[in-house]
Amino acid sequence: MNRRTPASGIRRYLNAVNLGGLAMVVLSTLPLYWMIASSFKGPGEISAAPPGLVPESATLGNYAEAFVRNGIGRYLLNSVLVSSVSTVAVLGLSFFAGYALARTPLRGRGAIMTTLLMLSVFPPIALVVPLFLLERQLGLLNSYAGLIVPYVALNLPFAIWIMRNYLVGIPRELEEAATVDGAGPLRTVLTVIAPLARPGLFTAGIFTFTATWAEFLLALTFNSEDGHRTVPVGIALFTSQYTVPYGTLFAGAVAATVPIGVLVMIFRRSIVSGMTSGAVKG
Amino acid sequence: MNAVTSSATVPRSPAPPPAGPRTGPVPRGGGPARVSRRKRARTGWFFASPALLTIAAVTVFPVLFSVVLSFADVRLEYGGFRLLSLTGDHYAAVLSSPEWRHALLFTFGFTAVTVLLELVLGTAAALVLERLGAARGWVLAVLLLPWALINVVAAQLWGYLFNGTYGGLTWLFEQILGHQPDILGQPASAMGAMVVVDVWKTTPFVAIVVLAGLMLIPGDVYEAAEIDGAGAWTTFWKVTLPQLRPIMAIAVLFRILQAFGIFDLPFVLTQGGPGTATESLAILGYKTLFQNLDIGRGAAVATTSAVIVIGCCLLFLRVFRTQADEGGRA
Repeated sequence: MNRRTPASGIRRYLNAVNLGGLAMVVLSTLPLYWMIASSFKGPGEISAAPPGLVPESATLGNYAEAFVRNGIGRYLLNSVLVSSVSTVAVLGLSFFAGYALARTPLRGRGAIMTTLLMLSVFPPIALVVPLFLLERQLGLLNSYAGLIVPYVALNLPFAIWIMRNYLVGIPRELEEAATVDGAGPLRTVLTVIAPLARPGLFTAGIFTFTATWAEFLLALTFNSEDGHRTVPVGIALFTSQYTVPYGTLFAGAVAATVPIGVLVMIFRRSIVSGMTSGAVKG
Repeated sequence: MNAVTSSATVPRSPAPPPAGPRTGPVPRGGGPARVSRRKRARTGWFFASPALLTIAAVTVFPVLFSVVLSFADVRLEYGGFRLLSLTGDHYAAVLSSPEWRHALLFTFGFTAVTVLLELVLGTAAALVLERLGAARGWVLAVLLLPWALINVVAAQLWGYLFNGTYGGLTWLFEQILGHQPDILGQPASAMGAMVVVDVWKTTPFVAIVVLAGLMLIPGDVYEAAEIDGAGAWTTFWKVTLPQLRPIMAIAVLFRILQAFGIFDLPFVLTQGGPGTATESLAILGYKTLFQNLDIGRGAAVATTSAVIVIGCCLLFLRVFRTQADEGGRA
């Protein structure tokens, strides 16, 4: 709904709004621009005061260093693998669970939903201690499964909430028609509901992928060995090695940001609707 | 991220049963083709159990295990661990330690300051966004970028900007103050730096959620306010803000929980320093566990923060729910 403003003030009002919008864009992007620009600066330029806004002699040396010497490519591959597998597993499990909670007469549904909410806000630090010991006992430290399994479990509650809220909105008549035509429950869900649930799956998927891509605490404590490190751990441990090689660090940071940035831009509608649709229903 | 949309529906839980099959359309062909309720429930459990069992095995069970650990003496051994004995000493030691009290105070302070700033700035940004017109989608897309940035990357980036000798912000402050401030080296400014980074990264999230609330306010409410001769300021306080309250409560609850568990930002930006100035509860728990290898005490620290988070969540939902009910009746 458009808001009406006194006609005399419109001009000034619009300017203030546009300035506010501009300020938001500049404040959001300037630090990011700084990171990208610095990733192309040579070592002398990066520590120069005053710092230059534009790299004077742009170089790809930092990227070569990050990929060849610091093995950022390996961390990226690890992250892609862990995040993708976790996301696919979360989507599969949450779709069926969300359907069950939205459509079938489960006893204790309210209790299940409340428990899921409590779990989705549970501080990860409280899980690190027991999971670390359990994984140690099972020999899962420094393995892909050692991260994927907790990532799936940690992201399931929220994904189930999204799927359930989405599926509640799909008309019942559609699946009833399929049931009448003789399809079993599994076939009905896979052929009738799943295609309709695609927007909900996109939302749950993008939230899970961004969360697992950025996850730090478990990745740091469970997979600290170089071969299984994920991107956030690799970037965090850049500093502790020697004096901070900022150029290389930012090359790695840009490489870590590009995949997630592209995904977020592609699925930005799903993100905004995911942030807001549940609230609308509340 | 989680929980924002989810917490939205909770105040009304348990969810009302969907307008059931009783009122549904009559099946074609006349016969009672409806599957029995018991059979449908069995299908439901069949569909839900893989997810619920995963959650039970990987989160619920470990949480219970962690509570046991917090009362136990544990020794790490090659490839495993051994429970030695059960005591209640860890909680006494944790609750009376100055480190824990300081971490608790810092975590509360950090949470309060960042959430308040993010709420005020996010609401202001949402009001601007709502009026932006054609450029809005584009600005929203840009605002998603800091939100999507990995926390660790954000911490490294701002660590560079705050760097003591050649950081861009240090240079800027030097031009203004006349001397080079050691931003991350002084307790007060290090805390301030952490707040700045968190606000920079998370205000867009609050703005987008509040914007959704703004879009939901019916236009005739504003028309009524205009007819009554209310100015822009009065309209905001008396009309917009009360209507936004439920969605703001959701955003605030979610931000409180997230800020309370903050780990990666202090771990990378300040390492909890200088000294222990920016040591959050999560950092304290991590250090107790992985640097001092004090498993039982680490579990106790973790359990205290989990109890506080769950307590805040329940309290908040209760307060918010009664408020919403009163608002509905008024």
